[in-house]
Amino acid sequence: MLVSLKNISQYVSLEGLTPEDIANKLTFAGVEVEEISRLASGTNLVIGEVKECVAHPNSDHLHVLQVNLGEKYGTTQIVCGAPNARAGLKVIVARVGAKLPQIEIKDGVIRGEASHGMCCSLLELGVDGKYLSDYQKAGIEELPADAPVGEEDVLGYLGLDDVVLNLSVLANRPDLLSVFNVAREIGALYERKVNLPEVNAKEDFKTKLVVGSKTKRCTQFSGKEIKGIVTKASPKWMSDYLMAMGVRSINNIVDIGNYVMLMTGQPLHMYDADKLAKAELYAQDDYDGDFVALDEKTYKVIPGDIVICCNNKPMCLGGVMGSLECAVDENTKNIYIEAASFDGASIRHTSNRLGLSSESSQRFVKGTNHFQSEFVLNYAASLINELCDAKENSNNVHYQSEKPREDRIKTSIKKINDRLGTEFSKDEIANVLTRLNFKLEFVNDNEFYAEVPLYRLDVTCDADLSEEVIRLLGLEHVKSILPCLDTKVGMLSLKQKRLKNIRSYLLSQGLDECLTYSLVSKKKQNDFNLLNNEEHYVILNPLTDEREVFRTHILASLLGAASYNVARQNKNLALFETSNMISKQSRSEHLAIVLVGQDARQGLLVKENYNFFHMKGLVEGIFTILGIEPTRYRFDRFVDANHELHPGKAANIVFQNKKIGVLGELHPNQIEKYDLGKTNAVVLEMDLEALLDAKVSETKMAPISKFPSVSRDLAFVLDAKIAAGDLVRAVKKVGGSYVVGCEVFDIYQGANIAEGKKSMAISVTYRKEDGTLTEKEVSDAEEKIKFELSRNFKAEIRS
Amino acid sequence: MENENLLKLKNAALKDIEEANSVDSLNAVRNTYLSKKSELSSLTSQIGQLPPEDRKAFGAALTEVRVAITSAIEEKMTYLKNKELEEKLEKEQIDISLPGISFEPGGRDPFYVIQDEMIEIFLGMGFEVADGPEVEKDLYNFELLNIPKDHPARDMQDTFYINDNELLRTHTSPVQARTMEAKKGAPIRIICPGKTYRRDDDDATHSHQFAQIEGLVIDKGINIGHLKATLELFAKKMFGEKREIRLRSSYFPFTEPSVEVDITCANCGGKGCNMCKGTGYIEILGAGMVHPNVLKMNGYDPEEYSGFAFGVGIDRMAVLRYGIDDIRKLYTNDVRFLNQFKKMS
Repeated sequence: MLVSLKNISQYVSLEGLTPEDIANKLTFAGVEVEEISRLASGTNLVIGEVKECVAHPNSDHLHVLQVNLGEKYGTTQIVCGAPNARAGLKVIVARVGAKLPQIEIKDGVIRGEASHGMCCSLLELGVDGKYLSDYQKAGIEELPADAPVGEEDVLGYLGLDDVVLNLSVLANRPDLLSVFNVAREIGALYERKVNLPEVNAKEDFKTKLVVGSKTKRCTQFSGKEIKGIVTKASPKWMSDYLMAMGVRSINNIVDIGNYVMLMTGQPLHMYDADKLAKAELYAQDDYDGDFVALDEKTYKVIPGDIVICCNNKPMCLGGVMGSLECAVDENTKNIYIEAASFDGASIRHTSNRLGLSSESSQRFVKGTNHFQSEFVLNYAASLINELCDAKENSNNVHYQSEKPREDRIKTSIKKINDRLGTEFSKDEIANVLTRLNFKLEFVNDNEFYAEVPLYRLDVTCDADLSEEVIRLLGLEHVKSILPCLDTKVGMLSLKQKRLKNIRSYLLSQGLDECLTYSLVSKKKQNDFNLLNNEEHYVILNPLTDEREVFRTHILASLLGAASYNVARQNKNLALFETSNMISKQSRSEHLAIVLVGQDARQGLLVKENYNFFHMKGLVEGIFTILGIEPTRYRFDRFVDANHELHPGKAANIVFQNKKIGVLGELHPNQIEKYDLGKTNAVVLEMDLEALLDAKVSETKMAPISKFPSVSRDLAFVLDAKIAAGDLVRAVKKVGGSYVVGCEVFDIYQGANIAEGKKSMAISVTYRKEDGTLTEKEVSDAEEKIKFELSRNFKAEIRS
Repeated sequence: MENENLLKLKNAALKDIEEANSVDSLNAVRNTYLSKKSELSSLTSQIGQLPPEDRKAFGAALTEVRVAITSAIEEKMTYLKNKELEEKLEKEQIDISLPGISFEPGGRDPFYVIQDEMIEIFLGMGFEVADGPEVEKDLYNFELLNIPKDHPARDMQDTFYINDNELLRTHTSPVQARTMEAKKGAPIRIICPGKTYRRDDDDATHSHQFAQIEGLVIDKGINIGHLKATLELFAKKMFGEKREIRLRSSYFPFTEPSVEVDITCANCGGKGCNMCKGTGYIEILGAGMVHPNVLKMNGYDPEEYSGFAFGVGIDRMAVLRYGIDDIRKLYTNDVRFLNQFKKMS
């Protein structure tokens, strides 16, 4: 909302206030001033008359002027380069010390001639070039011959002394979309008297116009008839004012409609009375059909849209646009003026659907005062009489289906102070609310009733009153006191703590923590959807197809981040992200990891490529820090139908017999697809939910054995396909309680070993908890192991 | 006579020990004087040939010489071994300027740095961490927050919709309603960090995805002074002890009164500079007293309970604290960016 301070000052005195003061005051009171713009600015200005103009002796384009600045400053010499400088011209002079938007004027000597000031163009005073002619822009401003020499209020003389504030009106204050109400607000802030125009109704005849509403979406409809108007261009003050407010001037009658709306906040609509079939206007919401609007376009109107009908034919799309059929034009003589109140939601739907948004539709959407039509119509009529030479005014006719709000708000001084944390007195609070036009009635020294002014749609409860008090008296009065609440241990829940621990663990392992977008393309959602086939959410109104699906996995996004980095020569990457995934079926915390290129460990001269086991190690590490024993989870071979992972180097993570994750090396085709370079990559996607919720027993110290352990190695040849993990598990099982460890320390395939076979060596550690093992005890256990290996693993023992 | 020989022998041995300059040469000396074939050993074996009255004295003399030589050798040996070790170690000198062998900790997107730090600050004040779904019901995102259908405030937040009733949450405030529902009228002190979405085109200062931390305190006798003090404490912990805050009136449908909170500009300390557009202050968050309608709708009696709520933009905190010039950098995951944020606080 733009407001001209010159305009405001007609209704409330702004004496002694700078625009910055006012802007600051409004901003702190919740009406943010986004911009202060001046039409022009400059200090030390005076109107002068060029008495003498001679060519500068040392220049081919400069002139030396003798300029009379009036009695106070006398005649002074100024060197001027403007082509239009000449004797007899009245000019704007910026005296020495003048501050103009771009420069400061100093006493000087220009090519040997003294110069004590500058003759100015309007451009130099900061006037926007779009308002100036080329001639004005090329030289100094030529003032009229009757310009008063010596006048120091040059901007005032030029009518360029206005300052426009751009108010950011928040949704709770639609009343401020009215200059009159802004004046009231400023009056309240500064405790100054506000004088709004008073209009005397002129009633020359009784109108035959009937107004009404057949819908709840229009609760108030008022009309007035005016006869004998002359349509013409608006006077300059009107068109200048509208232009400064960003509204295009059309003609006197349309302009008055807009002007009254800017002043009062009430949108008006004018009908050419002679074009209507009958003297009736009804608001309806059941019309279904075409509507030809003012802009000569045809719009489809559907039930729910508010239309104003005459004889059941739509004459106006309420609050949005009038019809072509009854539009006011240069031949219009007699008009009906409509001042109505329409339901904001309906107007919003209609204007959004048809793409027709205007100053008036926006006012309806945000909310208007439903009880000021009598004043508004009379105010409009007075302007029409003045600017359109109207002959006769009718009475006002009203339809009103709702009554003004009667219930007053009951509250108390204590309640207001309690909410605010302040100690304002009764007088202070009463003074503030009265300034804001609330009518107060005190029950006792504490409790009171407040009647809300009709234009304040936002004030409905005592909390609203406390806001009024604090925004005027100032939030700096609020005492800062930490709340005295029950002492409580602020703690993360177990689940939150576990997630944090997982993230810390991965960071400590040198992985970088990433943040990618939740919204992805359909394609990205389909890529690397390794874990689930749950249904994803699709955005109804996406901005682009790159962001139309709410993803159910992270991996494809993280691979995107990897390929972004590889393209920028960051070739060795260890990235992870945890994020909450949501599908139509469930919500769960996910973890994704991408390892690309070489192990990032610094300084090692021989660097190792990341492989499956780096990732597996990280997964095992996560289980370890959560306290989940290796017996509770396992890695199964992952069969990938989509060829996204290497068929031989991928695994499912199975926890409590449920697949919760997949890890593996990327299929070479995918490395190419994601532009990861001639390298390898290992990826993981894991649903952490089961881990975060897992029951884990408390750690209890286990006694450390006092007795020595014995290690024995076994080497054997067996089928190459047998998994070492299975074998180790079997060894531990058959070896009995003496076996406390079993590690694979060598695997070999190749020369001297038959095709399809491998040689494996394990080291088994034996210990007895309650004594030293005898040779026989160890041998017996080892025999059982050997027997198991040859029987169930078909191993050929070599030693 | 024998004693004189012995003295000579001892002195010769001590001289040889003195002159030995390596472990090997010292071992040779030991061999010469202490082995079975040495003079000392042969003298010892001759004791039996002496007259019995002389045997004791000679034996004692022999022992004394042997002990003297042995201990001199031991001493010298220790010295030589140490010296040789030092020389060996000296030769093993490495180039200490080469990079260390260890995993550097990973870099973090500043989003996490800020989020984790803010959580810690509020945990210290006795807050709990709540959470809620990012795909949210209209009911929680709007209706229960005093933003009924067709409320003009809905235009303030352009929303991604899934269908008529479901949407991507436009703020973390729905967790207020969810928490009130869950706590069933009991006092509340929570924060809720989380991702939020608005239908904005991405540019240097806008992002369709961003993140907030919501705060909510409901109890008896809560007022704006409590809000102010809590946020003051937060601002000082987050941006430094010298920071001050100020409140400005504002509007949010779910709080009344509503305020914007500004913090003194870190760049100029409040004097006014380019960063704060000359005002000395930078806007950091929105807050207010929970609207009585919100309390009522969510099962709290506004006559008995009051509360405050605030919402802080995590991205905005990161941008302000680290001088990040383009919000999209938070979502690009360039490792050269991530690796600038390793400091643990």
